[in-house]
Amino acid sequence: MSLASPHAAQESLTFRIGKNLFDMSEVAGGMAVLLVRVLWRIARANFDWNEFKTNMYKMGVKSTPIVVVTALFVGAIAVIQAAPMVQQYGAYGLLGWGAGFSVLRELGPLLTALMISGRVGANNTAELGTMVVTEQIDALRILAIDPLGFLIAPRLLAIVLTLVIANIYADALALFGAAIASKAMLGVEYGVFLNGLTSGLLNFGDVAHGLIKSAFFGLMMAIASCYFGLAVKGGAPGVGRAVNAGVVASATGIFILDYFVSFIIG
Amino acid sequence: MIAIQGLQKAFREPVLRGIDLTVPKGCLYGLIGPGAAGKSVLLKHVVGLMRPDKGKIFVDGHDLLQMSELELQGFRKRFGIAFQNNALFDHLSVGENIAFPLRRLHKDMTEQEIQDRVDERLRAVALPGMQDRSPPSLSGGQKRRVGVARATVARPPILIYDEPAAGLDPVSSQKIFDLLKKEKGDATVIMVSSDLDRLLTVTDRVGMMLDGKIIFDGTTEQAQNSNNEYVRQFVHGLTEGPL
Repeated sequence: MSLASPHAAQESLTFRIGKNLFDMSEVAGGMAVLLVRVLWRIARANFDWNEFKTNMYKMGVKSTPIVVVTALFVGAIAVIQAAPMVQQYGAYGLLGWGAGFSVLRELGPLLTALMISGRVGANNTAELGTMVVTEQIDALRILAIDPLGFLIAPRLLAIVLTLVIANIYADALALFGAAIASKAMLGVEYGVFLNGLTSGLLNFGDVAHGLIKSAFFGLMMAIASCYFGLAVKGGAPGVGRAVNAGVVASATGIFILDYFVSFIIG
Repeated sequence: MIAIQGLQKAFREPVLRGIDLTVPKGCLYGLIGPGAAGKSVLLKHVVGLMRPDKGKIFVDGHDLLQMSELELQGFRKRFGIAFQNNALFDHLSVGENIAFPLRRLHKDMTEQEIQDRVDERLRAVALPGMQDRSPPSLSGGQKRRVGVARATVARPPILIYDEPAAGLDPVSSQKIFDLLKKEKGDATVIMVSSDLDRLLTVTDRVGMMLDGKIIFDGTTEQAQNSNNEYVRQFVHGLTEGPL
């Protein structure tokens, strides 16, 4: 028979909840402090341009295939979901608008961010974490090099730019995929699809909406992946735990930001 | 000269418990002691990578703890350090790793001068022509030697070596120690190593740490002939004793 009273068990639960809240606050606070310190370096252009260019290639250019494939199918999926309703009401002329609205404002930035988070964010955390456990970060400090300016600021900038640029071509490719799916599944001519897209129901505000979201998602992903990478403790298993935590924090943060940015900018 | 006074540091438990230590200028100082004695933590304090809870650290008369992070960044140019894990930058080639401190800290040097210095360092550590190799493709001993080349390329007046021969076979280990001795020049050197047989062939003075304290500080000869039971057991690798 257990000697622990129900009260003790309740205290323990309260303790655990409190501890988790404190842990989450510590992480959120740590990420906020890191973000401010990195943005300060970017504002003063106090970061390594070569690292920035290397990361733009590594994160941006090398992410192109995954973004292309995802975007093409995202557009097609939007059409598949809309198809029954479109057929029921014969609203073929609105298909371009419907696909454009959902892709430009929501699906494009969100799914691009999640795909890049899985590839770039996880890789970034693993790379920084490995640098921590193999003392490469300490080596930088010994060489009088500020790790935030040398490693983190270029990565943050590269991730944000990668997401914004990837979102632009992901939008275009998703709409291309949607047009092909419309033609193949519903027999909607490309001209009709394009007319729905450009008839005036959509404007630059819808594109900007998605781009603003992408920039915020990029910030979230960059800061989460860098924070967990730099906070690695405990050798190789610690790197694994950090990658996991970084990906979860990025994805969760992206959804939370999606809600608030959508709410604020309409 | 490096002078440490009353240094204390605790993480969850105390790691350094009042360290007093003086390393004379130009001395090759061996820091020994069993695992978890606090040696690596002490080294990180000496180069300003960690801040103590209490105590003072003077390097060439400068109080490290009175310096801002920015001042420390500049001051760290005086140090060359070869880390326990080598800490070579994996995304750079061997040549770029060695050139890294020069490109960052000596912007007045021309690219030709940097290349010449890298070539000279690679020859000194018996790795000529390895500039273009990537660190992951090197053996353990080669990585150590590249680490030594990088630590010494800017000719810093203070060199720190943390377990420079860990994991190496006896021959490679002796070669590393001979190399470190040869490369020392006028620099002040602190070297942590568990390979006492070889370490004591190159040191001028030895300090032994145990449970976060310095329990012995003296010449290499004094360490080898010490009556302190901890030092005697550790230096001679005896199984019988208090450790």
